[in-house]
Amino acid sequence: MQSMQATVATPTSSALSQFSTSTQDKSSTAGQTSSTGPQPSRPSIIPPRSKSKGWSTGASGGRMRRIIAEDPEWSLAIVPLLTELCIQHIVKNFQNNPILKQLLPEHKQKVLDHLSPDLPLAVTANLIDDESYWRRCCTQRWPVCHVAKHGGSWKRMFFERHLENLLKHFIPSTTDPALILDLLPLCRNYVRRLRVDQFLPPMKLPPRPRSGELSDSGSEAEVEEPATDHYQLEDLVAGLSHLEELDLVYGVKDCGMNFEWNLFLFTYRDCHSLAATIKACHTLKIFRLTRSKVDDDKARILIRSLLDHPALEELDLSHNLVGDRGARAAAKLLSHSRLRVLNLANNQVRALGAQSLAHALAHNTNLISLNLRLNCIEDEGGQALAHALQTNRCLTTLHLGGNELSEPTATLLSQVLAVNTTLTSINLSCNHIGLDGGKQLLEGMSDNRTLLEFDLRLSDVAQESEYLIGQALCANREAARQRAPNPSCFMSPITAKGPENPAG
Amino acid sequence: MDCQIDATLKGLKKLAKLLLCGTELVTNIQVAADIREIHRRVEEGEIRRQRLEKLENEVKTSQDKFDEITMKWEEGKRKRIPQDLWDMLNTQQVHCAGLIEDKNKLISELQQELKTKDDQYVKDLKKQSDDICLLLERMEEQVKNVMKTFRQELSSIEKAFEVERRELLTSNKKKWERALQAHNAKELEYLLSRIKKVEDYEKQLNKQRVWDCEEYNTIKIKLEQDVQILEQQLQQMKATYQLNQEKLEYNFQVLKKRDEESVVIKSQQKRKISRLHDILNNLRSKYTKQIRQFQEENQSLTSDYIRLVTQFKELQKAMRHFALLDDKRFREIWLMNEEEAKDLISKAFDVDRIIHTQHLGLPWTAPDFWFLRNVGPISQQQQRSATQILEEVLIQTEEEGTEEATSEAESYLDLPKQVSMKTTRKILMLLCDESGFLIESKLLSLLRPLEKSECYLLKLDAIFSALGIESEDDLYKLVNFFLKYRVHHSPSSQEQTSLMSALDPGEQTDLERQKEESLVGGEPEEKEVPPSPTLIHPNDVLKILEAFVMGLRKPRDPPAPVKVVKYVRDTSKDSAYWEAMATVIPYATQNLWDALYTALEKYHFVLTQRAKLLIENNSLEKQNTELQMLLQQYLDSKINSELHVPPTQVLRAPTK
Repeated sequence: MQSMQATVATPTSSALSQFSTSTQDKSSTAGQTSSTGPQPSRPSIIPPRSKSKGWSTGASGGRMRRIIAEDPEWSLAIVPLLTELCIQHIVKNFQNNPILKQLLPEHKQKVLDHLSPDLPLAVTANLIDDESYWRRCCTQRWPVCHVAKHGGSWKRMFFERHLENLLKHFIPSTTDPALILDLLPLCRNYVRRLRVDQFLPPMKLPPRPRSGELSDSGSEAEVEEPATDHYQLEDLVAGLSHLEELDLVYGVKDCGMNFEWNLFLFTYRDCHSLAATIKACHTLKIFRLTRSKVDDDKARILIRSLLDHPALEELDLSHNLVGDRGARAAAKLLSHSRLRVLNLANNQVRALGAQSLAHALAHNTNLISLNLRLNCIEDEGGQALAHALQTNRCLTTLHLGGNELSEPTATLLSQVLAVNTTLTSINLSCNHIGLDGGKQLLEGMSDNRTLLEFDLRLSDVAQESEYLIGQALCANREAARQRAPNPSCFMSPITAKGPENPAG
Repeated sequence: MDCQIDATLKGLKKLAKLLLCGTELVTNIQVAADIREIHRRVEEGEIRRQRLEKLENEVKTSQDKFDEITMKWEEGKRKRIPQDLWDMLNTQQVHCAGLIEDKNKLISELQQELKTKDDQYVKDLKKQSDDICLLLERMEEQVKNVMKTFRQELSSIEKAFEVERRELLTSNKKKWERALQAHNAKELEYLLSRIKKVEDYEKQLNKQRVWDCEEYNTIKIKLEQDVQILEQQLQQMKATYQLNQEKLEYNFQVLKKRDEESVVIKSQQKRKISRLHDILNNLRSKYTKQIRQFQEENQSLTSDYIRLVTQFKELQKAMRHFALLDDKRFREIWLMNEEEAKDLISKAFDVDRIIHTQHLGLPWTAPDFWFLRNVGPISQQQQRSATQILEEVLIQTEEEGTEEATSEAESYLDLPKQVSMKTTRKILMLLCDESGFLIESKLLSLLRPLEKSECYLLKLDAIFSALGIESEDDLYKLVNFFLKYRVHHSPSSQEQTSLMSALDPGEQTDLERQKEESLVGGEPEEKEVPPSPTLIHPNDVLKILEAFVMGLRKPRDPPAPVKVVKYVRDTSKDSAYWEAMATVIPYATQNLWDALYTALEKYHFVLTQRAKLLIENNSLEKQNTELQMLLQQYLDSKINSELHVPPTQVLRAPTK
C-alpha cells in the first residue's frame, strides 16, 4: 500500500504520505469512519477491503465479541467433539448395536471405559477382551476378588465364578438346565477351572423330610436314589474346551442345624456320570472330589475312568471314605498315568492299602507328592512305604500325619533319610514315634542334606532330638538357599499350603 | 553396598524364621484337631464295639425270651382249662411286657446316647467354630505380624537405600558443583575473550566500512564516467544502427530477390539432383554388376592363372627334363661323331703313315693336336647368377619335399659343391628370417599374398642385392663362410665330423654326393648330414653377415649389370673344333696324297689293263679248251656215223 502511494504521490509530499499511512493504520483498526475523508484518490481500491474487514470485526460484531470473549463458558472447546458424541451414542446403544472392533484404539478404550458392567453377557462375552472392563464387572459383583487364583485374568475369573455360582444354586428338576447350557457358548473359551463346593439336592416335597425322620438314610437313599441325583456335569464339561481343573464337593454348605444325611449323598448315578465326564475331558489336569462320601466302590469307578488319562496330574480324594480297595485302585492308577500329586487325606486306608501304594511307589517316576494324613496305615503300611522310598527317586513330599506309626517305621525312615536325596518334606505329626524313634530319626537326619521340612509335632519325640532335627533342617535350608539364591523358594511351600489350612 | 546386602540377608533370614514360626503356630491348631480326631475315632471305635456287644447280648437274651414265649404259646394251645389259659396268658403278657420293656429300655438308652451325640455334635460344631475363630485370629495376627515385620524390613531397606542415595547425592552434588564452578570460570573466560574479539571485529568493521565508502565513491564516479562514455557510444551505435538498418534493409531486399532466384535455382538443382541420383543409382547398379562380373572374371582368371602357373611349372620341369635329355643326346651324338671322326682321323693317319713309310719311304711321325685328346662336348661353364641358384635350391628342396624321384635332378644339379642342399637351404632361410631389415617395406607388403617359397625367393633376392651377392661363387662363399664361422665359433665335440668335412671340401662334397645319390633324398640323409644351421644361433647371423660383407667388399669389382639370360650353349668353338678335326691332315700332305694318287691311279690303270688282259687271256684259253672239249664230244658221238657227211670230216676239212 505504501509503495503504491509513493509512486502516485509527488516526491515533495513525503510528509503527507507519512500522514496517510498513519491514517491508514488507524482506519484498519477503528473501522472505516475516518478512511473516506483525507484521500479521495483511493476509494476505488480501499472501500471493498475495509468493508469486508468491517463485516467480520466491526459494526455489530465488534461489541458482541468483546462480551463473549469475557464469558468464560462460551468457548468453542466446550462444545463436545463429534467423536465424543459418537462414542457416547455407541455406549448408550451398545446393547442393541455393539460397535467396537471397527473403532480406533483410543476410541475403543474410551468406549470400554464407559460401558456399563450390567450389559448382557451374550453381547459382551465374545466381543470384549479388555481386562479393565471385566475387572469392573468382577468388583461390582463380588467384594473380594483374588485374580491371582484365576491366572491373573479378570475375564476368566468373571466367567469361572459366574458359572460356579450358577452351579452352586442349581436345583435339579426345578431350575432350567438351559440356564447353564445357554451360558456355555459364551464362556467355553475362558473357563479353565471349575470349583464347586456345593451341589444342591433336588427339592423335596415338604412332607418327605418329616416322614424320613432322623435316621441313617441308607435304606431311604436307595429308595429315593433317582430323586437325589445332583446336576449332571457331562454336557457342561464336554463344552468347556479349556477346562483344566475340576474341584467338586457333593454336599450342602451352611446347613447348620438343618443337617440331614441325605443332603450329603453322592449317588451311584452321580458317580457314573462324573466318571464318564472326567474320562471325556482330555484337558483335565487336576481333579478334586472332597467331602463327598466316596467309598471304595465309587472310588474304583472314578479311578477306573481315569486310567491312562492323557493329562491328569493331580488327584485329590481327601475327606472321603476310601478304604483299602480304593487305595489299591489308586496304586494302579499311579502306574497307569502321569499323576504327580495324590491326596488321600482323611480316609480309611489301612495297612493293606498302604502296602499296595508302596508297591506302586517303589518304581514310580512321576509322583511328587503323597498325602495319607488321618488314615490308619499303622506300622505295617509305614514300613512298606519306607521300603518303597529306598528305591523311589521322585517323591519330594510325604504326609503321614495321624497314622498311628511308631518306632519300627521311624527306624526304617531314618535309613531312608540317609539314602534318599529327593525328599524335601516329611510330616509325621500325631503319631507315636516315641523317644527312641526320635533318636533314630535324628541319626538319619545327620546324614541327610536335602530335607527341608520335617514335622514331628505331637509325636512323643524328645524335645532335645526335635530341636536337633530342627537345627539340621535349618542347615539344609541354608544350603538350599545358597544353591538357588531366590528367596521365593521359601515362600512357595508356605503359600502352597495356604489354601489347605482352612480346609483341615 | 555390602552392609546393605548383609542387612537384607539378615532380614530375609528373620522373615523366613518368622514365617516358619507363624505357619507352625497356625498349623498347631490343625495338628491338635487331628490328634483330637484320632482320639475321638479310637473312643468311637471302642464305644461302638461296646454298643455292638451290648446289642448282640441283648439280641441273644431277647431271643431266648422270645423263644420261651413262643414255646409257651405252644404249651398254651394244649391248655384246656380257661383258668390256666388266663394265667398263662397273663404270664405271657408279663413276659412280653418285660421283653418290650427291655427293648424300650435299650431304645431309650440308644436314644439317650443319640441325644448325647447330638449334644456332642453341637459341641463339636461349637468347638470347630471356636477353632476356626482361633485359627482366623492367629492367621490375622500372623498376617499382621508378618506385615509389620515386612514393613519394618522394607523401611530398613528403604532407609539403607535412602542413606546410600543421600551419600551418592551429596557426592554427586559436590562433583557437580565443582564441575559447575569450573564451567563458570571457563564461561567467564570465554565471555571476556569474546568481548575482546567483538570489539576487534567492530573496529575492523568500521575500518572496512570507511574504506568501502571511499571505494564506493570512486567506483561510482568511475562508473558514471563510464556511463557517459557508454551513452556516447550508444548514440554512435544508434547512428550506425540506423545506417546499418538501412543497409540491411537494402540487403534484405536484394537477398529476397536472390532468395527467389535461389529458390528457382534450388528447384532446378533439386531436379538435377534427382536426375543425378537416378544416374548414380544406375551407375551403382552397373558398378555392382561390373564388380560382380569382374570378380567372376578375376576368379576365373586367377584360377586360370593358377592353372597356367602349374602348367608353366610342369612345362618348366618338362623343359628341364628335355634340356637334360637334349644335353645327353647331344653329348651322345657328339661322342658318336667324335668317335667317328677320330676313327676317320686315325684311318687317315694310318693311311698317311703307310703312305709315308711304304710308298714314300719317309719316316712318319704322328701329329699331336689338342682336339685329339678331347672327349665329349666342349662345355664352357658359365657363371650363373646367385638368384638362379637360389631358385634352383628352393625348387629343389621343395621337390625333395614333395617328390621322391629326385635322383635325376640331383645329378644335374651340381650346385652343392661343398655343402649339401639342405644345409644351404637352411642357412638361406635363416638369413632370410634374420635380415629382414634389408628388405624394403614396400616389397614386404607386396610379398604378403604370395606363396611361401616365392616369398622366400624374392626376399632372398632383395637381401642378396643389398649385400651385393650376385654370382654363384659369392653365394658359395657366403655359405662356406657361415659354415666356417660356425666351425670356428662352436667347435663342439659332436660336430667334429662336420668340421673335418668343412676343412676338406672336395672330399666332403664327393662323399655327400655319393650319399645323396645313394639315399634318394630320403630322411636318413637328414640324419646323417649334420644339420648345421641349427647350430648357428640366430643372434650370430648378423655378426657373420657383417664379417662376410667386410671380407667380400675388398675384392669386389664394380658391379656388373645383372643380366638374366638363360643358359645357352656356346656353339662358337664347336665349328672350330670340327674344322680342326677336318683339317687334321695338312694341305701339303694332301697335295702329296693327290700327286701320289694320280701316280698310283695311273699305275693302277696300267695294272688294271694288264689284269683285264690277263683275264681275257684266261677266258680265251678257257673257251678254247671248252670248244676243244665240245668238238671232241661231237666227234665222239654216234650221230656222226649216221650222218652222210660227218662233221668231223667237215671240221677236219675246214681245219685242214
